[in-house]
Amino acid sequence: MIHRARTCPGGWDPGDRLGSVKQEEGEGGYVRRYLKVLALVAVLGLVAAACGGDEGGGETGAETGAETGATGATGETGADIQPGGTLEFAMLGDVSAAFDPAKEYYSVTWEYYRCCLLRTLLGYTGKTTAEGGADLQPDIASALPEISSDGLTYTFTLKSGVNYSPPFEDVSVTSGDIVRALERVADPNASVGGYNFYYNIIEGFAEFGEGKADTITGVEAPDDSTLIVTLTAPSGYLPYLFSMHATAPIPPDGPDERLGAAEGHTKDYGRYLVTTGPYMFLGSENLDFSLPADEQTPVAGYEPGQSIQLVRNPGYDPATDGLRPAYADAINVSIGGDNNDLYNKIQAGELDLVVDGIVPPPVLRTYSTDPTLQPLLHINPSDAVRYISFNMAAPPFDDIHVRKAFNLALDKAGMRTLRGGESTGEIGGHIFVNSLQDNLLADYDPYATPNSAGDITAAQAEMAQSVYDTDGDGVCDDPVCSGILAVTDEADPYPDQAALITQNMEPLGLVFDIKSFERTTMYSKCNDPSAQVAICLAPGWGKDFPDGYTFADPLFGSAAIFPSCCNYSLLGASPELLQENGYSVTEVPSVDEQIATANAQTGDARFQGWADLDVTLMEEVVPWAPYFFDNNVDVTSARIVNYSFDQFAGLAAFDHFAIHPDAQ
Amino acid sequence: MAQVTSEPQAGAPIPSEEISVEVSQAVIGRSPWELFWRRFRKDRFALAGLVIVFLMLTLALTAPLIAAQFHGPNEVHLDRLDSFGIPTGPQSEFWFGVDTAGRDLMVRVIYGARTSLFIAFFATGLATLIGVTLGMLAGFYRGKIDTVISRTIDVVLSLPVLLLSLGLVSACGLSKDGCLGGLIKPGLLLVSYVIGLFSWPYIARIVRGQVLSLREKEFIEAARSMGSANRRIMFREVLPNVAASIIVYTTLIIPNNILFEAALSFLGIGVPQETPSWGRQLSEAGDIFTVAWWMMLFPGLFLFLTTLAFNLVGDGLRDALDPKTGG
Repeated sequence: MIHRARTCPGGWDPGDRLGSVKQEEGEGGYVRRYLKVLALVAVLGLVAAACGGDEGGGETGAETGAETGATGATGETGADIQPGGTLEFAMLGDVSAAFDPAKEYYSVTWEYYRCCLLRTLLGYTGKTTAEGGADLQPDIASALPEISSDGLTYTFTLKSGVNYSPPFEDVSVTSGDIVRALERVADPNASVGGYNFYYNIIEGFAEFGEGKADTITGVEAPDDSTLIVTLTAPSGYLPYLFSMHATAPIPPDGPDERLGAAEGHTKDYGRYLVTTGPYMFLGSENLDFSLPADEQTPVAGYEPGQSIQLVRNPGYDPATDGLRPAYADAINVSIGGDNNDLYNKIQAGELDLVVDGIVPPPVLRTYSTDPTLQPLLHINPSDAVRYISFNMAAPPFDDIHVRKAFNLALDKAGMRTLRGGESTGEIGGHIFVNSLQDNLLADYDPYATPNSAGDITAAQAEMAQSVYDTDGDGVCDDPVCSGILAVTDEADPYPDQAALITQNMEPLGLVFDIKSFERTTMYSKCNDPSAQVAICLAPGWGKDFPDGYTFADPLFGSAAIFPSCCNYSLLGASPELLQENGYSVTEVPSVDEQIATANAQTGDARFQGWADLDVTLMEEVVPWAPYFFDNNVDVTSARIVNYSFDQFAGLAAFDHFAIHPDAQ
Repeated sequence: MAQVTSEPQAGAPIPSEEISVEVSQAVIGRSPWELFWRRFRKDRFALAGLVIVFLMLTLALTAPLIAAQFHGPNEVHLDRLDSFGIPTGPQSEFWFGVDTAGRDLMVRVIYGARTSLFIAFFATGLATLIGVTLGMLAGFYRGKIDTVISRTIDVVLSLPVLLLSLGLVSACGLSKDGCLGGLIKPGLLLVSYVIGLFSWPYIARIVRGQVLSLREKEFIEAARSMGSANRRIMFREVLPNVAASIIVYTTLIIPNNILFEAALSFLGIGVPQETPSWGRQLSEAGDIFTVAWWMMLFPGLFLFLTTLAFNLVGDGLRDALDPKTGG
């Protein structure tokens, strides 16, 4: 969460004070002092007022795409639903890469794409897992892809009549437009900060990106409505890659422009985005791609850092789209503001939703306890896990008994209370969120304790088996256990959680030296093996697409060790890497093979593969102490009569929002 | 000027005994400190300020003893949070209520006094040391030395203090080893250094001005003509004569420095997160004070009282020490 930019005026100027003292002479001392008292009161009052609403930065807002997911939704009643009206939204911060589909690795942007702007070969319904919202649906494709028997070739067939937004409203999407998008994703400059690594399973993708080939050999468009994708090895997650908006079609723009409309916009295609969804940016019709790229004027409907204005796309034919109801005529989004203030505006009816906000605890309490407000509160599992990550090469966490003891001692219920209580999420007993394993491990927790409050006796029994507890009394007596370098996030609720963790681990003899950082810095410290951070107290992880691979490989694959991300536990680290970074441990267990095995599966076997990996990790490897599965909590204004939750992005599904007819 | 114990009532006849008392008192010699104290103790506000300062000092020094009677400053009491994680207010066991982590707010506010007073004395001491040294040198030697020091003062005064502190504290607080090769480590000391390094010019300027005028006085000339070395003149003749001003301004810088630390901690770059600090407590209260007023009130009140007390004491000291203000 977050980056927390606080701009509270901490005005301080000793010069003023001494200057005034110099002039205070002679009589009138008491009056002067009363004035001084009044001035101090006023200053304190100002501080209080200024600080009243100055905790910037929402958690969701800064934790990028890796942080959120989704489930559960208020069903569509259909009662008062009438298309029309303008939705008024707010965001604390802007999207992460100015709407460039190849670069946007942020769930908030993904929802704008899914609901409104970009259609992909496969898509989602904008509903919860229970309602099928995590299942792939044909979108531009007419059906799910045909898979060859060896699992290496996927054939997509495209619908006809899917057109672009102006100025390309008469142009239909072809398979070549998808190839164009893939070629753009392969370009490391165009996809900087994005997720193009997932596409390396496509034959020739990496070579094309490195400039060693003229085409991506594994992608063919034999005709306008067929796309054939060939993989280097069977990977059951391939279809999901074509639901990601980096692969959204880019219209052609003359024979000389290989990247079509995106030609010349390596850095800023988002501001010239040609859409296929029910909406487009205001002023898209004024885009003039006949001009050289640097002379084109960006769309008016997106002012970076200021506002987003979406209007209906005249090129969109709802008959080709069974996924998006798109009730509202327009969506206005203001960017910036204070979290508390924005939620006050929702209560006042001036806003319909804070897209990336965090419902403040007092507001959550009000909406939870007031029966008239309860229907406006929407709580859904967002497919993200919160955990504490052990560096398995750093003492004392190079000993599995210490890691298990930590898991047993942790008061998970308390950790949740400090996050805002039951409505904010479920207590977590394992690593993969349940929807990625078809709930196979829904009740699994190998370190379950009474009331999830931690069990010091069991933890000490585990610790007694550790090499760091020489006298076997369940308390670590080795010097490595005092002053363990721990890193956490400086934003709420992590400092409070750090206090609880400190208290929980004291009976085990684990004493931490806790360093708090701004979120991005915290993540980079946890990821850098040379920083020798022994334990990372505040990471979280959300899925990228509804498949276990997005939890397995980036978190536990040896390829995800620094400078990649985010294998903080150093699973599968090579002896050289460990030595280079100053660790005395020469080996850390690897789960690479098990990840590959699960990834080659499809269907139920795939779910089982991820569940088996989860059990191995939790019982035999123990790289984490997972404690919490996030809910997404939204508060909507009273005029919103239909709310749905998009499990793919883990956010409210904007296209399902309907405004009461009387308030349109 | 003769000292009188009490002013006679206007128009009332003066009893003859009083006249004789006054005469006899007039010949009693009093040391400057005695004179000072007689003036200072008449200032009820200053005395009240002094009492508060001593009270805060006592609280800060006895914080562990108080904590032992109540709860540790980092003890988490989850049962004192409601089901939404919102803290509960003042109650029998927790006189000031608890904070968002369920910690005893009273104990943490008292521990916060330690942070504030440490900053108050250490950072101000540092500022005074630098300020007096440079101010004396500039005023006494004049010429190039004065030019260099005075321009340095101008430069430091023109720096955007808060912004620069933000930069320094975050740069040096980022790594475990601090910055400047481990010379400056993150924590309370770093914050103290930063505050000290930005508040010395005020004292330096005042000392310089006073020394400039003092060095021309006859008694300095006398000392010089008797062959006193510069160092002796500075320490034995000049310094005692500017001591009063130094004391006054030091006292008045203290509350500023306390507020500065609070501001830095409020902005999240002050003392380390687990160290209780009033500024940080106020910052933590920012999001939740509408339902947990105690989190704003108590640290705010202590901060207010402490800064007010130091200000009152400073004013009282000035009135009592500065002959120009009468008394």
